[in-house]
Amino acid sequence: MIKITETKLSFYKKRIKSFVGRFLESRLGLIGVFILVFFIFISVFANYLSSYPISATKGNPRDRLLPPNRKYLLGTDEMGRDLATQIMYGGRISLAVGFLAAIISGVIGTAVGLAAGYFRGRVEDLFMRITDIILVIPGLPLMIVLAAILGTSFWNIILVISVIGWTGTARVVRAQVLSLKERPFIESVKAIGASDFRILLYHLLPNVFPLIVAQMVLRIGNAILTEASLSFLGLGDPTIISWGMILHWAFSVGALSANYWWYIIPPGICITLVALGFTFVGYALDQIVNPRMRMR
Amino acid sequence: MGMRDYILRRAFSCVITIFAVITINFFLFRVMPANPVDILVSPLQGMERLSQSVREQMIKDLGLDKPLWEQYIFYLKDVLTGNFGKSFIVPRNVLDIIGERFVNTMVLMFTGNVVSIFLAIVLGVIAAWKRGGKFDISSLISALTLSSMPMFWVGGIILLIFSVRLDWFPLYGTVSIGARHANFFEYIADYGHHLILPAITTALVNFGGLFLIMRSSLLDVFTEDYIQTSRAIGIQNRTIIFKNALRNAMLPLITIVAIRLGFMVSGAVLTETVFSWPGLGLTIYNSVNTRDYPVLQGIFLIITIIVVLTNFIADVIYGYADPRIRVGTNSRG
Amino acid sequence: MLLDVKDLKTYFETRSGYVKAVDNISLDMERGDVLGLAGESGCGKTTTMLAIMRLLPSNGRVLNGSIHLDGLDLLNMEEEQLRQDVRWKKLSMVFQGAMNALNPVFRVGDQLVQAIRVHENVNKEKALKRVEELFTLVGIDPKRATNYPHEFSGGMKQRAVIALSLICNPDLLIADEPVTALDVIVQAQILELIRDLRDKLGLSMIMITHDLSVIADVCNKAAIMYAGKIVEKGDIVTVFKHPEHPYSQGLLTNYPSIKGGKTKFKPIKGRPPNLIQPPPGCRFHPRCPYAMDICKKEEPEMVELEGGHFISCHLKTR
Repeated sequence: MIKITETKLSFYKKRIKSFVGRFLESRLGLIGVFILVFFIFISVFANYLSSYPISATKGNPRDRLLPPNRKYLLGTDEMGRDLATQIMYGGRISLAVGFLAAIISGVIGTAVGLAAGYFRGRVEDLFMRITDIILVIPGLPLMIVLAAILGTSFWNIILVISVIGWTGTARVVRAQVLSLKERPFIESVKAIGASDFRILLYHLLPNVFPLIVAQMVLRIGNAILTEASLSFLGLGDPTIISWGMILHWAFSVGALSANYWWYIIPPGICITLVALGFTFVGYALDQIVNPRMRMR
Repeated sequence: MGMRDYILRRAFSCVITIFAVITINFFLFRVMPANPVDILVSPLQGMERLSQSVREQMIKDLGLDKPLWEQYIFYLKDVLTGNFGKSFIVPRNVLDIIGERFVNTMVLMFTGNVVSIFLAIVLGVIAAWKRGGKFDISSLISALTLSSMPMFWVGGIILLIFSVRLDWFPLYGTVSIGARHANFFEYIADYGHHLILPAITTALVNFGGLFLIMRSSLLDVFTEDYIQTSRAIGIQNRTIIFKNALRNAMLPLITIVAIRLGFMVSGAVLTETVFSWPGLGLTIYNSVNTRDYPVLQGIFLIITIIVVLTNFIADVIYGYADPRIRVGTNSRG
Repeated sequence: MLLDVKDLKTYFETRSGYVKAVDNISLDMERGDVLGLAGESGCGKTTTMLAIMRLLPSNGRVLNGSIHLDGLDLLNMEEEQLRQDVRWKKLSMVFQGAMNALNPVFRVGDQLVQAIRVHENVNKEKALKRVEELFTLVGIDPKRATNYPHEFSGGMKQRAVIALSLICNPDLLIADEPVTALDVIVQAQILELIRDLRDKLGLSMIMITHDLSVIADVCNKAAIMYAGKIVEKGDIVTVFKHPEHPYSQGLLTNYPSIKGGKTKFKPIKGRPPNLIQPPPGCRFHPRCPYAMDICKKEEPEMVELEGGHFISCHLKTR
């Protein structure tokens, strides 16, 4: 028994090692990781990095709407609060929403994709129909409607983004399952008498897993952008600071026409860089993992 | 005949999808919220809260006390006869409001996306042909960066630079407030002047994704055997690119534009909000803020149906463009 | 001499190093010759052909050698002149997987017309007439010229591609695996067509294939390639009946004869080498049953045995 476990462990070790090796070869992937580590670091250690407390009300009204200077690195908002602090703490929410929404939509998408690809027939038809319908409906308007009805809160936003975002993963997983099903090892496992559930969980899922991870990473960037748009439109949780919310407040106090550029530009740059970071990493992962992509 | 079956199948699919969308809309607004009554019956009349008895009467009038399936039938009837209800805020039919704002959205989306598609094709072709070259890499990076920027932020930056700072363009609206136009041309000129920045924003916001997909599709085509054959024959590069290759790459382009229609609509919502462009997108934004649910519901339904129909039209166009579908695989040697 | 290839060296640049795909090969052909270029997948046959046509992918480099077609120096020619005077007019080809050589969105006839009008200034009617002639020549009903490629069967597509290659009456036609993707019956038909064309038009051809029976069917000369090198070449009867190189012997003796008794297969052990780091000395030595010490150190020279029969092997040329 011990021998079997050992080979299993070394099997996974070898695969992880080669994977990491290939990832390090990808320049894009490394740049992406660098960007993401930077922003995650800032967000997590915001309370150590910032000299100002984060507060909804405590600002210095005399220091309102100041452009960047020595005292306030990125300027202040309409209540005199330091914007750099807000951006640092805002990263927490933006990243959190991104991660959670991507994970939830990843789980849903994987479940749907596995079921559709494995069971085929009417189950597949039903799921694919649903997927197609959701895909055809314009994303943001649907999310707006959902958010308007359900109310604006941190978890509602995550829910809304997830409920729409699982379709891409479902399609990719299904395609992979369809191609895996043809492979002899599934037939042999079935012949041994494994139940469907066992096959799905222990045989198909591990093979699909790398693909799912690559998809999810790409989805995180997407989710962050979506959260920003929803918050900007006023559908975000007003008690929470995220980069999107900062921009929301910026526009609503007329930062645009009054040329308070420091209120508008930095949060957008943060969103862009983080989204780029996830795109790079996701692309690098996809190159390694997606059998079709490897040809190019 | 292959083509007829194809169109029929797509039409059937289209109808089913529209039905599904209408049903989803129904459930969204009547089943999902905690208190559907608040959504369907305006809580206010003028400035006063409605009394309980008046509300109960309205509930009866709207049939909200009837069983769900009955409500569904009535709802279907309403939708099919164009009765989308009245706005909570202004005493007008939702359909009239939509009709008014529709044109502005169409103009904006059309101009912005035509530019976007054209640029994506041209630049995509050049990037794919000179794969790995400086142009390819720089345009790849630009497209990736553009598609990572929040759409509304792009609009904001453009406004900041070209309107607030440089004062070359107006800040909002379709025409200057209070302006009097001597004739139609002046109106069009003013309108056009207001259109430029939002249209550029629309183009930029959509370009990134379209370029990436176009380039990818062209790379696929360029590595196909028939292109290598064309080069072996000695056909000029320009002809190969713009005749032999492009014709093939156009096919997935039709599909892609159709798929991205939803994305384009989302972009329109955000861009119209930033530029206060009075189209359907801005109306969605306003209706959310004022809790004008009938308008929100109506616009959502209309744009979704239009997107589904456009997808169907795109499918038909694709069927005509691809000889494998148009002519069918009937004869063999 | 129609084709004279001397010391051709073509490498591919990759991130892991240079792939020595074609390493110092020399070929020659007279008018009317049909040369069969044989070898396993990946031995460099297609690369040789691409080098001759100057259609190598962007990471392919011709590092050494010369290619002369009817006296013209192909490697040093300007791209424009190559395109106008050589491509398709003197040298044409039938690619591997001809199924995909036809553009799916254009009618077959139109594609041939386009090729004609690249090289000859004729109007559409004349061009269509020529298409008709060619179709008849290769055995396709001329009325099918208005069809799209997907309406043709595999065999018809192959004929159409052959017709396409003959448009400008080329001096040399290179066919890369022309019948591999077809079933046996269609294969026989196409080979018959090729023999016909060879006799009727006096066509000179290079047939590239891994299938030795195809070469035996239509060629009068043969060259056997292994790992980027030519190991044996000569006229067909000599090479096939009296192969001298151990690799050729391994290939040719493995063909069971319908007439003969049961013979055991003697497969050549081992696998083709990695072309980034090929074995030193003779590239075949790891698999050669007669390998000697010198084979591991020195690359054998191409030496003429007798009457146009060349071989590159230490065993036979000491």
